[in-house]
Amino acid sequence: MSSPSLTLPSPAPAAARKRRVLEILGALAIAGTYIYLVLNQPADITGGPGSASALIALSGFLVGAILLVVAVLPTLPTSTMVLIPVALVLNIVLGQFVGSTLVPFYLDAIGTVLIAVLAGPAAGAATGALSSIVWSFFNPTVLPFAAGAALIGCLAGLAARYGLFRRFYLAPVAGFLTGIIGGVVSAPVAAFVFGGTSGVATGAIVSAFRSMGDTLLAAITKQALISDPMDKAIVFAAVAVLVYALPRRASLQFPFVRRHRVLAGKAPEQGS
Amino acid sequence: MHPSTALSAGIRSFTFHEEDSPVLRDVDLSFAPGTLTVILGGSGSGKSTLGRLLAGWLSPGTRGSLHGHLELAGTRLHFNGSADDPRINPAQWGVQVGFVPQDASSALSTVRATVAEELAFGLENAGVDRAAMKAAVKRTADLLGLNRLLDRHPGTLSGGQLRRLAIGCAVIAEPAVLVLDEPLASLDAAGTDELAFLLRRLLAGGTAVVVLSQAIDGALLEADWWIVLDGGTVTASGTPEDLHAAPECLPAAIRRPGPEPKSRMPARGSATWGAQAAAEPILELRGVAFGYHGNPGRGRKAKAATRGASGHELNTVLLGIDLVLLPGEIVAVTGANGAGKSTLLRHLNGLLRPTSGSVLLNGKDIARVPVGEVAASVGLLFQNPRDQLFERTAAREVRFGLDRRFGADEAADRTAAALAAVGLAEAAHGHPAELPASGQRLLALATVLARRPAVLALDEPTVALDGNGLAVLDTAVRSAAAAGAAVVLVTHDVPYARSVADRLLALDGGRLLGN
Amino acid sequence: MRLHPLTSLAVAGSTAVITTAAASWPLSLAVIAAAVGLSALGGTLRPLLPAAAAVLVPLCLSLLVLHGLFFPEGVSVLAQWGPARVTTEGLSFALQRAAQLSAAVLALLVFSFSVNVPDLVAALPAKGIQGRVAFVLASTLTLMPAAASRLQRIRQAQEARGLVIRRGLLHRMAAFRLQAVPLVSALVEEAGTRGSALDARGFGSTGPRTSYREVPDRPLERLLRTFLLLAAVVAVAARLWQAGG
Repeated sequence: MSSPSLTLPSPAPAAARKRRVLEILGALAIAGTYIYLVLNQPADITGGPGSASALIALSGFLVGAILLVVAVLPTLPTSTMVLIPVALVLNIVLGQFVGSTLVPFYLDAIGTVLIAVLAGPAAGAATGALSSIVWSFFNPTVLPFAAGAALIGCLAGLAARYGLFRRFYLAPVAGFLTGIIGGVVSAPVAAFVFGGTSGVATGAIVSAFRSMGDTLLAAITKQALISDPMDKAIVFAAVAVLVYALPRRASLQFPFVRRHRVLAGKAPEQGS
Repeated sequence: MHPSTALSAGIRSFTFHEEDSPVLRDVDLSFAPGTLTVILGGSGSGKSTLGRLLAGWLSPGTRGSLHGHLELAGTRLHFNGSADDPRINPAQWGVQVGFVPQDASSALSTVRATVAEELAFGLENAGVDRAAMKAAVKRTADLLGLNRLLDRHPGTLSGGQLRRLAIGCAVIAEPAVLVLDEPLASLDAAGTDELAFLLRRLLAGGTAVVVLSQAIDGALLEADWWIVLDGGTVTASGTPEDLHAAPECLPAAIRRPGPEPKSRMPARGSATWGAQAAAEPILELRGVAFGYHGNPGRGRKAKAATRGASGHELNTVLLGIDLVLLPGEIVAVTGANGAGKSTLLRHLNGLLRPTSGSVLLNGKDIARVPVGEVAASVGLLFQNPRDQLFERTAAREVRFGLDRRFGADEAADRTAAALAAVGLAEAAHGHPAELPASGQRLLALATVLARRPAVLALDEPTVALDGNGLAVLDTAVRSAAAAGAAVVLVTHDVPYARSVADRLLALDGGRLLGN
Repeated sequence: MRLHPLTSLAVAGSTAVITTAAASWPLSLAVIAAAVGLSALGGTLRPLLPAAAAVLVPLCLSLLVLHGLFFPEGVSVLAQWGPARVTTEGLSFALQRAAQLSAAVLALLVFSFSVNVPDLVAALPAKGIQGRVAFVLASTLTLMPAAASRLQRIRQAQEARGLVIRRGLLHRMAAFRLQAVPLVSALVEEAGTRGSALDARGFGSTGPRTSYREVPDRPLERLLRTFLLLAAVVAVAARLWQAGG
């Protein structure tokens, strides 16, 4: 019969358990850091820059993101691995472009969400984190947002898994909700690591809240609640347009798309 | 049939996921060491799918379901489309069967900085030690004539060099079988000769070579065996002499060598010629020169435009081009790969602006007219149709932008007429990306035809077209000319140019030469 | 003498971490000066400065506007226009934070602009997680100019089809679809072929790997890397301990 070298053995379950543990640890690191920062924030901001909070935000979120990458990356098939650089190119090219304009949006997650829809939440999370890591090669300020980007990828994958990309109008709704969660989680990074936001337009919104006497974290969280949900709604809608424009053979090569019937049978009608 | 076989397949059916009809059915093949087998088939006949399946690039199970068997190096794997089918180990399969896809650049790793490292990529992954890798890289570079390019970045290679590199990556592990998908497409005469020489050396070394092609080229006449694929199944097979003796076995979709017997359009009588002599020129190029030194912004654009040119150090592409286009005439410009044909074509609608000289449309200089406006009169068809297509159905694609210019009724008429002219009326509601390569080119042609431009400019129109597509193109070009349009086509395909053109010009060293 | 890419990464990374942990105004300025000096010495100042400016100018401007004008916690008011109050505390917070962030960003950018990416990729073990991260980094850097030139070609091809992009948000969004659809579908399709090609060339195999490119490493550098890593950890721990105690 068949010689073993030409065929692959069935995948072993033991390795999967170890990876699941790493995933949970990563998620715990991110959640724990967030809770600690929110509980401890008031005393901190006036204590001057470089305070312990910046270090805790940085290390907690980074460790969490790295654990997620370590857990997920080795499990991805080559067909997903080669798509990650494509996603990163889309993220960086669009993000760099929009960040330089005076629009209070980022649009730096189109590639991440695209992967999440095609390959699932785990791949989406890893792509989000890697996107921040690789982008920091040109712009080190995005590195601390790796955990937030991973969360967006994971939530987008879950939205796809539960059929929110089957109807064109549901995608922006899912994006809006994802944006709320993502914005709230990323706000402490902006507040404690940067002491503000990295764009002028978003900075103006924060200033408005600060002038009403909000704490820095509250002001940035409110700004995030204004920008992020709209931003992610636009991103999810754009990704829905893109995945339905892909030839079916291309999208159906991904087992995640087939198994969970991510896309509707036929492209839904949408305004052009 | 053969004393021994390196690879054989018995495919009862192969169906992509969620598709109703199989792409391949009842295909039985075997390939012996040291033989050249050519699988001939038109666009959409299933030959690329077959090639990928044989090479382990299309894993049964993950991409679709296979019923039948594959046999490699004495190991036979049986598939019946169920979950417990064997799963092919692509790395081990790849050691024994090399594959070179049609688009060679997409086979490269994108993570290696030199040609030598790119060649070694597969060996690195197999854990081969450095001394053995160096020896293998040297041997492969000698075989493919890549010696002088070993330290170059793969991104700087020309189309022909990229294809040789992709072949090198496929053969460095010395596979028993090498499968090449359309290796001759878009190669000029010199490139074809180099490739034929390379194939002879591989065959002499005992490799079983399989070439997938939609055109019968001189180099393929040396094959031991021809197999004709039509509609996903084998319709004929035999030696080249056998099949030549029975031309009815070769479907029209397979392109024949040399100038084909063409039905000249009846409209092209002497009356047209007489009318032409009196007509005003539509488009005129006066002393157009183009180079891109000293201006980085334009340089990048021009580099993208002349992909396939021999390198970035080249800075003068066109030197004083004069060309007058009259209504109703067909002009063909030929030249070797990298001669600047595409650069010349991009001057006709203002995508590139001459460094000196001028381009006149209906007697007016287009120097200050935006490309989008010139495009109403000059329709330009690019080499890669996918860059131009973005809609969900072929009909929407052709109709795009027509409503605003002509109103809904005329837009619908023009759309239907253009689709019918390229033979895609039945595919009107299909997804453009799901058309076979030939169909995509024709759809892109339809988007240009629907606007009925006064000048039709075509960049390498014959590439990727199968025999049927070529016949459609031919008719479309002739009827556009008969309706009064001037047609310019640039191509490396001299026989085709000769068969279709009223005037044949050659671009060489930056100048246009009449024949 | 050329440093091993991992050594320069360790230098840049630990500098960024220590500057953040120390939060000392003179140290931040010293790091900024050293980074600019090093980059000038290495001849990478020309590409580095615009990249750094693109990141740092909006960031610092945003900080100055935000804290310079609105810092409710501030007490010593220098000037006041309506709700906006310029306070000493706000200004010093903004300046200190700007200096500290600029130091960290410049330290890391000096690394990215001086490192030889192929050497870095070869220095990371090809197997397992690090190899995959290296693949993503290198492939992204290769694809970026390729995607940009493809986008350029798509624009040309569409202009040649007579498509004119008009002003206005809706038109821009329509234009985004026209250009993004061919770009993304071509990139995804190409990635599909590349995936098969890489699989066939053993990208997914789990056995040992070797490297064709030689990246010389010295024992001294290995020692230096360990030391830098430890120093960064100590700096962070010291700061946290100080805050906790």
